[in-house]
Amino acid sequence: MDEKEQFGEGQAARRSFLGCLGTAVVGGAAAVAASAMLSNETRAAAVDAPPVPAIPGYDWSKHHWAFGVDATKCIGCLRCVEACKAENEVAPDAHHFRTWVERYVYLEGEDSARVDSQADPVNIEASGSEGKYRFANRYKDAKVDKAFFVPKLCNHCTHPACVQVCPTGATFKTDDGVVVIDHTYCIGCQYCVQACPYGARFFNEALKVTEKCTWCYHRITKGLLPACVEVCPVGARIFGDRNDKQSPISEFIKNNRVEVLKPETGNAPNVFYVGIDKEVS
Amino acid sequence: MPKHIVRLILLIVAFGVAVVSARNFLVDKSFYEYGHYRGNAVAEIARDKPKYQGTTYCQSCHAAQFAEWSKGVHDRTDIGKVVKCEVCHGPGGGRDPQQGYINASTGPIHPDNLKLAVPTDTRALCTLCHEQMPGRPLQQAQIVIEDHAGAQQCTLCHNPHSPRMIFGSLAAPAHPGNAAAGRDKIDMCASCHGAEGISAGLPGPTLAGQNEAYLVEALKAYKAGKRSNPMMTAMAANVNDGDIENIAAYFASLKCKRTVNAADQAALARKAGASVCTNCHGANGISTDGMAPNLIGQSKDYLANALKAYASGTRSNVVMFALTKGMSDVDAEKLAAYYASSSCK
Repeated sequence: MDEKEQFGEGQAARRSFLGCLGTAVVGGAAAVAASAMLSNETRAAAVDAPPVPAIPGYDWSKHHWAFGVDATKCIGCLRCVEACKAENEVAPDAHHFRTWVERYVYLEGEDSARVDSQADPVNIEASGSEGKYRFANRYKDAKVDKAFFVPKLCNHCTHPACVQVCPTGATFKTDDGVVVIDHTYCIGCQYCVQACPYGARFFNEALKVTEKCTWCYHRITKGLLPACVEVCPVGARIFGDRNDKQSPISEFIKNNRVEVLKPETGNAPNVFYVGIDKEVS
Repeated sequence: MPKHIVRLILLIVAFGVAVVSARNFLVDKSFYEYGHYRGNAVAEIARDKPKYQGTTYCQSCHAAQFAEWSKGVHDRTDIGKVVKCEVCHGPGGGRDPQQGYINASTGPIHPDNLKLAVPTDTRALCTLCHEQMPGRPLQQAQIVIEDHAGAQQCTLCHNPHSPRMIFGSLAAPAHPGNAAAGRDKIDMCASCHGAEGISAGLPGPTLAGQNEAYLVEALKAYKAGKRSNPMMTAMAANVNDGDIENIAAYFASLKCKRTVNAADQAALARKAGASVCTNCHGANGISTDGMAPNLIGQSKDYLANALKAYASGTRSNVVMFALTKGMSDVDAEKLAAYYASSSCK
């Protein structure tokens, strides 16, 4: 009795498949070994200086970026929000923002603040377009005890929860302190959107990837300021290199009693605030 | 070893090798170069082309506007308030005004095939920063636009590149006049303006306490024919420049005793529709900035005629023409009546 009769057609097919697999495995193993040797050689050559990303004229090991917000200066003009959208091609609607501005208003006799942002329907109506932003003067006739504006953006945390949860290594912290997203590796699971305690991330439905503030990484690596800092007419946004003790951000942190948002989460933010209230988080 | 065990071991080994080689082919070579991410992604993210170009980029072609701006209050680096070109005009690079924002790495930059917007609705633009609003810091200049400008655009009076109002022609006179010397030259003036400069019922306007620079300007304008009035043209023709300064100094030194204060008048001014006027002329008719003439002590007819003259262009002043353009005679009378109510006593 030959095998074909005993086990039938299926058994023969499995045998031939395993035979092919065996050949493939041997080939594959050879390729792995070859490439491993190759990469060992290249690693050995570069062992003197640690490798840095190929950004012309920029060495990320020399910088440690940080951001400051002086809420006592912010006038709520929202030029930063529009500049960010233009610079980073964020969808011009009222639902996607890499940076935004909140208004806190304490009315007489009320214990908690009324909070709105440029995305509030009343403010969108005042601007006349979802792609343009202005704060409606909705409290002009109200009895206001206290009011102020607070610009918000990604905090580029030292221990970012969003990076921790990313299943593909698509979001990461660069050596110069910026948390960015590799859009070719992002699978759009939005776990990071859930993980961020500051609501700084959003989903780009068109590209099916998550998006966030990068401190305009394409600008700061060319010696420019982030777009929001570039356009702020009152100097409420401060950006610079903490390795440079004369930089605006080093001076800002040195000369002010700065605080960060939600320090209890342990994310250790790198956006430092001045002039905010306990209710801001 | 039994045959089926050998097969099982071979199968597991084969699977393991298949996974390792698949991972080797599929995972980017730069993964783990710097950490648990694709190392090449860093340079890719940094490659985008910046859209906001900065003021130096604008200056390279628009040097005149840049110079104007850099001397004005919108460029105050010393106090950290700098309204750069692109804040109002939009980003200089990578924008297609027809199709929104276009691909970062290939986008055109101004001036290649991109025209930047010159904002036309300055009422909306300027109030983004200057509208009076709870929450804005006190040091920010803020206005209630209806009171400040009525329905006019900001650019009617303000140069957006250097918005603080400075009327060069009304700056303090280069040679301060001698009031005592001026006193001897005013015999002719007194018949219409009053010897004390107060024209109660006389045909000319009150001159007592008037802004000196304004008086010099007015006399020189009559003399040069830029301003015309049968009586004044004849009078001014025979006065030399030194006497003009002395006469102006004399009338400016006289006292127009003020009977009202600005705070009490503010509400009345708003009621009379004179809020726009008060920015320069004050609610009580006393010039707020030292540039515009005082209106206190003038007769209703004189003020109404002046407004109508500005509106028709027979008396020329850029700001006054802009503000009175299209003004009805009734409104002119109303404004004149308001300011005529505060007189010199």
